[in-house]
Amino acid sequence: MAPDETMTNVDETILFIDYSRCIGCESCESACRFIHGQARINMTRTVGGIMAPVYCRHCEAAACIKACPRGALQKGADGAVLLNPVLCAGCETKSCILACPFGGIFCTGLEDAVAKCDLCQRRRSVGMAPACVEMCPCGAMHLVTRREALALATPEYEAAHRKVMEHVRPVLAPLKRRDQE
Amino acid sequence: MPEPSATPMNFAFAGPGPARANGRSVAVIGAGPSGLAAAGFLACLGYRVDVYDKLPKPGGLMVFGIPAERIPAGRIAQGVETLANHYGVSFHPCTKVCDRRQVDDTGDEFSTRCIDLDELVRGHDAVMLATGSWKPRRLNVPGEDLRGVYTGLAFLFPIRAAQYDRSRMSEINVAGKNVVVIGAGFSAIDVAHGALGQGAARVSMLYRRTRREAPCGSHEIELFEAAGGQWLELVTPVSILGEHGQVEGIECIQCHLGEPDEDGRRRAVPDSCAKMVLPADIVVGAIGETASPPFAERLGLESVRKNEIHWLQMTQMEGVFVAGDALSGPSKIGKAVYSGLRAAQSLSRWLTLKGINREFEYREEPPITREDLR
Ligand SMILES: Cc1cc2nc3c(=O)[nH]c(=O)nc-3n(C[C@H](O)[C@H](O)[C@H](O)COP(=O)(O)OP(=O)(O)OC[C@H]3O[C@@H](n4cnc5c(N)ncnc54)[C@H](O)[C@@H]3O)c2cc1C
Repeated sequence: MAPDETMTNVDETILFIDYSRCIGCESCESACRFIHGQARINMTRTVGGIMAPVYCRHCEAAACIKACPRGALQKGADGAVLLNPVLCAGCETKSCILACPFGGIFCTGLEDAVAKCDLCQRRRSVGMAPACVEMCPCGAMHLVTRREALALATPEYEAAHRKVMEHVRPVLAPLKRRDQE
Repeated sequence: MPEPSATPMNFAFAGPGPARANGRSVAVIGAGPSGLAAAGFLACLGYRVDVYDKLPKPGGLMVFGIPAERIPAGRIAQGVETLANHYGVSFHPCTKVCDRRQVDDTGDEFSTRCIDLDELVRGHDAVMLATGSWKPRRLNVPGEDLRGVYTGLAFLFPIRAAQYDRSRMSEINVAGKNVVVIGAGFSAIDVAHGALGQGAARVSMLYRRTRREAPCGSHEIELFEAAGGQWLELVTPVSILGEHGQVEGIECIQCHLGEPDEDGRRRAVPDSCAKMVLPADIVVGAIGETASPPFAERLGLESVRKNEIHWLQMTQMEGVFVAGDALSGPSKIGKAVYSGLRAAQSLSRWLTLKGINREFEYREEPPITREDLR
């Protein structure tokens, strides 16, 4: 997530998981799978045995949107990165999965080529919170604005997040965005 | 710990709020994650739900097994309150659903009331059995019955339960003692940390494989070592030694790693010549629990596991469904939640179709596979 100084849309809503409070119990994945059929947040296990969910960060300048050859990924009004399954269906490139630095887009092996979080748009349109956030027994998951997320990124969070990211993205330095090269 | 902007726990997350009563009632046995998730889902659909649990508080192992630092008990309690206050779910604590033949499990100390399963079946349109897996697995070595030898849950449960009722429960005193923990799963690591936290002089963990194979992961072991614990690998207990009925040590044998087993983990092969004795005042065999639902045979749980029964997660007793660790054996909170939700969905379909004599329309549903339950 690493919200940086260039952040402009501080009021956009995102999902924030405090990895320092997450115990890797999989409740988020279960709730997501129950609601959406295909889980859009998935557990990973690091070499050291830490279990943690990986998920879409709804980036401001989302690499997946740029990478998608079909225009199937777009920003919604509140900043969420949304997938249009009709355009996506049957895509052979899976470029979005490769482009995402957080491992937040998932291959389904089904006709809808990929699955990704939409911050539970349908639920939120009727005033409900995302399913994962409501079922986290640890209170580690938050639906917040980018500004609020900054306040949640404690040193404990940063340390725990780094451990997960070293596994998801095993490189020494963060990947540069294509447009910055 | 401050909780900025945290969304409250909501076991009834499937719907936007309480539904109009549908006139049907369901009994949920066991208020662990699977039972609470099932209760929440059914409440969203307008069922009247009664939840029975033998313990004084709902939450199951989330409250009575897993250490409080990992799951804030207040968050679970508040999710339960929402079910009770907004969805009209009735909680019946300290009430054990019984089988006369059943032997006692960990946690029975608290139940003051016993209800027969048949009584619940008669009194409700359907029953959800979500009793978890509380029967300790034995080490099967001589000396296991000595004083000072405990199972993982028997050791952890009093630490949490004593907070609710001191007259019935007190912690096992480990202060200044030499504690040996056998195993390397969630409960083993929780026991080891628990013992360190309660002032044990020395805490050692014994595992027959290496830290690379440990189910709790090498990271947890590093944390345990950093907290002052001693990790011993490639050793397995062969007998527990003691005098006057009291444990004094544990005899172990050295192992090496052999061929992978069916789970793909390398097997521990004992080397018969290399024995050693570790002194111990307390030995905790935290090698897991097994499912012990009341009426296991009558319910035909083996057939449910093999999916031989027509309705997803229905038992051999018509209208009695089963979910969570009671069905799968020890798993994880998330797996138990998913299992509870799926079973509740199946239960509701069954009742609805039965009510209009259209059970034949039931769509065959893929069971939750072993792969899913990993
Ligand atoms: C020490 C320990 C640490 C763990 N750590 C983790 C972890 O970090 N992450 C993770 O995901 N999972 C962990 N687990 C596993 C997790 O706790 C379980 O998989 C999960 O709680 C199972 O949920 P359940 O609802 O099926 O059963 P349970 O949580 O066991 O709940 C069953 C409930 O049924 C009640 N009950 C039983 N029999 C009866 C009866 N006859 N009548 C009435 N009530 C009855 C019990 O009192 C209990 O409240 C841990 C388990 C242990 C033991």
